[in-house]
Amino acid sequence: MSQALYRKWRPNQWEQVVGQDHIIHTLRNAVKSGKVGHAYLFAGPRGTGKTTTARLLAKAFNCTAEDLATRPCNQCENCETINKGRHLDLIEIDAASNTSVDDVRELREKINFSPSQGAYKVYIIDEVHMLSTAAFNALLKTLEEPPPHAIFILATTEMHKIPATVLSRCQRHEFRRIPVNEIKGYLKTLCEQEKIQVDDEALVTIARQATGSMRDAISLLDQLASTGEKITLGYAQTILGTATNQSVIDLVSAILEQDSAAGLQRLHTALDAGTEPRQFARQVVDYLRGLLLIHLEAIDQLDVPEDTRKMMVTHGSAYPLPGLMLALSEFNRAAADPRSAWQPALTLEIALANAIANLDRSATVVKDDEPAPAPAAPRAMKDNKSQSPAQPTSSTPAHAKVEPPPVAKPAPEVQPVETTTPVEPASRMDEEAPEPAGVRSDGAEAKGHNQVSLMDIDRAWAQIHEIIKRKRNQTAGLLNSCRRLAIKDGALVLGFATEVVRSKMETPENINITRAAIHEVLGITIDIVCIVAGKAGNLPANLDIDRDGMIGTALNMGGRIIDKE
Amino acid sequence: MSWDVLGHEWAAAMLRGHLAGGQARHAYLFTGARGVGRRTLALRFAQAINCTQPPEPGEPCGACRACVQTARMQYTDLAILQPENPGAPVKIDAVRELTRTLVLAPYESSHRVALLLDFQNANTNAQNALLKTLEEAPPKVILLLTAESGEQLLPTIVSRCEVLLLRPLPLARLQDELVSRWQIAPGEAALLAHLASGRVGTALGLHQQPELLQQRQAALDDLAALLPANRIQRFAYADKMTNLQNKTGEERERIRLRLRDTLIQWLGWWRDVMISASGESDALINIDRRAEIETAAAHLPAGAGLAMTRALQDVLEGMDSNLNLRLLLEVLMLDLPVIELSVTDPAL
Repeated sequence: MSQALYRKWRPNQWEQVVGQDHIIHTLRNAVKSGKVGHAYLFAGPRGTGKTTTARLLAKAFNCTAEDLATRPCNQCENCETINKGRHLDLIEIDAASNTSVDDVRELREKINFSPSQGAYKVYIIDEVHMLSTAAFNALLKTLEEPPPHAIFILATTEMHKIPATVLSRCQRHEFRRIPVNEIKGYLKTLCEQEKIQVDDEALVTIARQATGSMRDAISLLDQLASTGEKITLGYAQTILGTATNQSVIDLVSAILEQDSAAGLQRLHTALDAGTEPRQFARQVVDYLRGLLLIHLEAIDQLDVPEDTRKMMVTHGSAYPLPGLMLALSEFNRAAADPRSAWQPALTLEIALANAIANLDRSATVVKDDEPAPAPAAPRAMKDNKSQSPAQPTSSTPAHAKVEPPPVAKPAPEVQPVETTTPVEPASRMDEEAPEPAGVRSDGAEAKGHNQVSLMDIDRAWAQIHEIIKRKRNQTAGLLNSCRRLAIKDGALVLGFATEVVRSKMETPENINITRAAIHEVLGITIDIVCIVAGKAGNLPANLDIDRDGMIGTALNMGGRIIDKE
Repeated sequence: MSWDVLGHEWAAAMLRGHLAGGQARHAYLFTGARGVGRRTLALRFAQAINCTQPPEPGEPCGACRACVQTARMQYTDLAILQPENPGAPVKIDAVRELTRTLVLAPYESSHRVALLLDFQNANTNAQNALLKTLEEAPPKVILLLTAESGEQLLPTIVSRCEVLLLRPLPLARLQDELVSRWQIAPGEAALLAHLASGRVGTALGLHQQPELLQQRQAALDDLAALLPANRIQRFAYADKMTNLQNKTGEERERIRLRLRDTLIQWLGWWRDVMISASGESDALINIDRRAEIETAAAHLPAGAGLAMTRALQDVLEGMDSNLNLRLLLEVLMLDLPVIELSVTDPAL
């Protein structure tokens, strides 16, 4: 079994560490001037060189070369044994497997023995974020004042999990992601030495794919090179499951043209060609991020070839910012969504559909003359138009903007005249059909007519009732047995259990007293209509309750309307 | 016997190349959707690693004891780590135990192979405990991990492995293979290929268990019946599906799973409505219900398909985080649009 390239190519000299100049510089100077710290903490993303640097540093401290500046020399005995991984005083601890306080106590017991081979005992504690809290605390005293021959190097990818008390005892070095160019450059020299033939474009693809991690990049290269043939861009794309740049550009074009059929087609073509859905989503995110940079006028941060850049500028200027942001988060979600098991491409399709639907949600212009590129998407809308010519404008904005939530009624029947066209109150009273928009609409309408809703009356009812009681006790008594049902066309509808009570209430005197009381409290004049509400489920038709709506169903199931807001 | 892994020829060629050239790495990660063939490929690779009489370098013979026992996952030098129950987490102790045994030399063959199935189920501690072993494994150890996607693992795990992204087959190819290899009737093969979205394992699973197809039909029939129904009927359905009273834990679990399967079928149906509404009618999953889907797509407002797909996804997510089943289903029933599927002219 050959060693993986990333192990074979682990740097064993300062010069070979890529992209972390700020850290290497500091550490080299420290070695040069013989200033040995007792605790270091290396933090940074995966594959950026933490463990490597830790070993280098350990080697430099134990190196016996005369000239401090040349340490590590890789020639003395100490250097060689460290390179081979069998130096007695380099103790590498996997904190993720030895997390407990006992492991730390064991370390503390042994640390006092002086080094057997080199000048220093170096403890490299890798994945240190996994130590338990107790273990961290047990380490504190040793970490603050270790014996003079001991050095700690802690390495972690998750610095936020390290207690502040540990952080403050260490020299902290933060590793950064390695830029694409530097990764590419390193891979290139590596390929030359390993005699791997590779296209320049393929190297860029690999470097991008690695997202700043050298280990990822070398692993990928290793994987691609294993066949021994030349690595072409096409081969790299097959193995990595990435789509061509062109298919990403085509997809974004389709979004901008609001052509969902074409967009889906391109998506499926790319997936059929062997693109991995998440990978594709990630590429789209990458591209959209470029567009965002253009919007933010940070075009010089774009790290793409010239022709792609031109395309991006065209797309970027055509893409409204809010839509772009939404598309970005949609595709980002598709890339990270763990729910892939049911349908691998589903999240991607949803992201696409949403991106198209919300392309210009900030735009207020009604696009009436928009050529319908997707034959079926507007089909439903067209159907509606042809059925209800009375309202030519109402369906169009819905098409251009966010879709309304699914309506509880079949779409074709929803649209007729009632919802949008204002109707005279008189003509409404004898209307038999239940209102499609359901109960909620009456509150809104009432506001239009009277500037009062049932809720306002309900809130003030105790007060109103008090006033009525003062004027005429009998009326108040009658009102005790009524239910305030609705505000309908400028009139308060009161429901009574029986015809007898209703007729008693419906004398001009009672009505006038009640109206006056409402006027006194709320400052409005309102008509009062008395009806027999009877038993629940037996509601009069002129109450705005959709029989098949939520409330109607609840009533049919034996529910009772107690309060209405 | 060759590798014989449908659709992942490129991966097989690469792995064979690694073995033939003596360049096998110490850690591989196979990712892909469920049923795409991750475990099959990993096992085949394990066979190839330890085969005692390979016909060619890097090829498993499939007949020697090592190959046969590996295929049954019973080989002495094949350590397997998988969740005890599907979906149950892998704990840190199991990983520690594994890393301890991996230090030992193989019993009889050249390599000790560790197979970690569905490693996305391992909790963070367990994953962290594997890191050091994964980075610099003991000699003669090869670790094979499978997961649904790299995102579900710690990035530090993924970057230590050679990742093989297994993808579904193109539908046409899967359909042909189903017909030629497994002698499935072309009509059924087309349906299976679409339902499985190109995943061989899923398609074969559906073929071998006809009751799964029947359940699917039943679920979609239920949906078709519910769409024109009023709320009372819908609530009655929700009640029927989620009646947990006087049930044992096992029965409850079965009810949950059944509801989940039903909802997944519905999700596919609504996804088709969404796709169909946008005019790309070639990409449907439920091709046997095309008429129904197109009717729905034509008569519902444009965003309904998308909205329902989203709603169903949310409900499924809710189920996975243990929300009240009945409540979830009832909310879904309220979201469900009312539409008459059999009516062709909406103006009637």
